Amino acid sequence: MDFPHLLALVRRGDELAWEAFVRQFQSRVFGLAYHYTAQAEDARDLTQDVFVRIYQNLALVPDAEGCLPWIIRITRNACIDHLRRRKARPPLWDLPADEMFDLRSSDQNPEEAHLEAVRKGMVHRALQELTDLNREIILLKEIQGLSLEEIAAILEVPVGTVKSRSNRARLELAQKLSAAGLCSADVGG
Amino acid sequence: MNDFHENPNPHIAPPLGPEAALDLTRSILARTSGSPCQRLQDLACAFVDGELEADQSTLVRAHLDHCDACAALVKTLTQTQAVLPNLVELDPGPWFTQRVLRATVHLPPRPAFDLGRAWKQLMHRPRIALEAAYLGAAASLMGVYLPLPLPHLAAKVPALVQPLTQPLGASAQRIAGQVVQAEQRTTASLEAFPLRPRNARSLWQRLSARFKTKIQSFRKAEPRAPKNSAEGKKAPPANP
Ligand SMILES: [Zn+2]
Repeated sequence: MDFPHLLALVRRGDELAWEAFVRQFQSRVFGLAYHYTAQAEDARDLTQDVFVRIYQNLALVPDAEGCLPWIIRITRNACIDHLRRRKARPPLWDLPADEMFDLRSSDQNPEEAHLEAVRKGMVHRALQELTDLNREIILLKEIQGLSLEEIAAILEVPVGTVKSRSNRARLELAQKLSAAGLCSADVGG
Repeated sequence: MNDFHENPNPHIAPPLGPEAALDLTRSILARTSGSPCQRLQDLACAFVDGELEADQSTLVRAHLDHCDACAALVKTLTQTQAVLPNLVELDPGPWFTQRVLRATVHLPPRPAFDLGRAWKQLMHRPRIALEAAYLGAAASLMGVYLPLPLPHLAAKVPALVQPLTQPLGASAQRIAGQVVQAEQRTTASLEAFPLRPRNARSLWQRLSARFKTKIQSFRKAEPRAPKNSAEGKKAPPANP
């Protein structure tokens, strides 16, 4: 079923269509929220809030390719609000990132799957060490695949800033990862 | 890059502890601060993305063949770029969808179109006052200059529009003032250059002819005439 048709059914109150809508976007929203918060349970709460907001504003959901950037923007804003509130209260210890990423890789052979989870966990942890703007640019551009213009609109900075920051952010991330031994994760893991 | 090869211990084992990791970062930064390495850092992302010109790409490859630090950086960048897109989705757990559906089942979805909401959004437009002022000015122009079908209504329009633009504030009045000035300028220039019949002489032709006769009469009156035509204009014309 194409997306505009699905959205039309959701707007008419079709419960099955709404379930399909949630399943279509939940991993994406949760992934983004997890990289922002680094806390699985916080990310689940935020993801649920995002879907409640979408459900309450179905008239505003863009029909076509604008939908995903719109959902990403809502998720990002919810995460930023959450992080501002959380500054007062330091986060509790969470499930190690590698285990979070191990949950998804069941179709590969176990060894390769584990290695992949280790690499993902490393990148996730290295992202937490970047400056806020650099982390957001990596999250939105390299992970979510948004265009420079879409990112500039979300972050309210000029397109040129996103472009010049993007390379610096990638270099900073690579330097953190080589310090953490990403390349050596091929051998041992 | 030669400095690098003079280093007695170029091969460092993969570090494990955080201190060793920090050492490696420092050593990478120390080794990549030379100018060819700095230049390579500027190009590294474009190189990994395959966006470099062939010539530049060859130069980068040549540097990488001789600089382990930059080669390690490019390798890490390449691996990172391969991992990043795979982080886009993450499973929130098997019961998560049910949890969202439970949270939304009692919420009535908003209707596709809500008049009150649409009005609120319209009123939240940051330039609503300016837009209203423009609309008011445009309406006054149309009211005054377009031939309305009802003449008695057309006569009333300026009187109706004026009190409307007054309470909109200083900026609206300024805009309305500018519109009135523009109208006056347009009217004046239209009156100065009336439409002429096809074969009539243009304004320019008439002006230049009048100017020529004045110059000629001036020359007749004073043989050593001033070169400036403006002074010539001021001189008392001696009409032939
Ligand atoms: Zn180098």
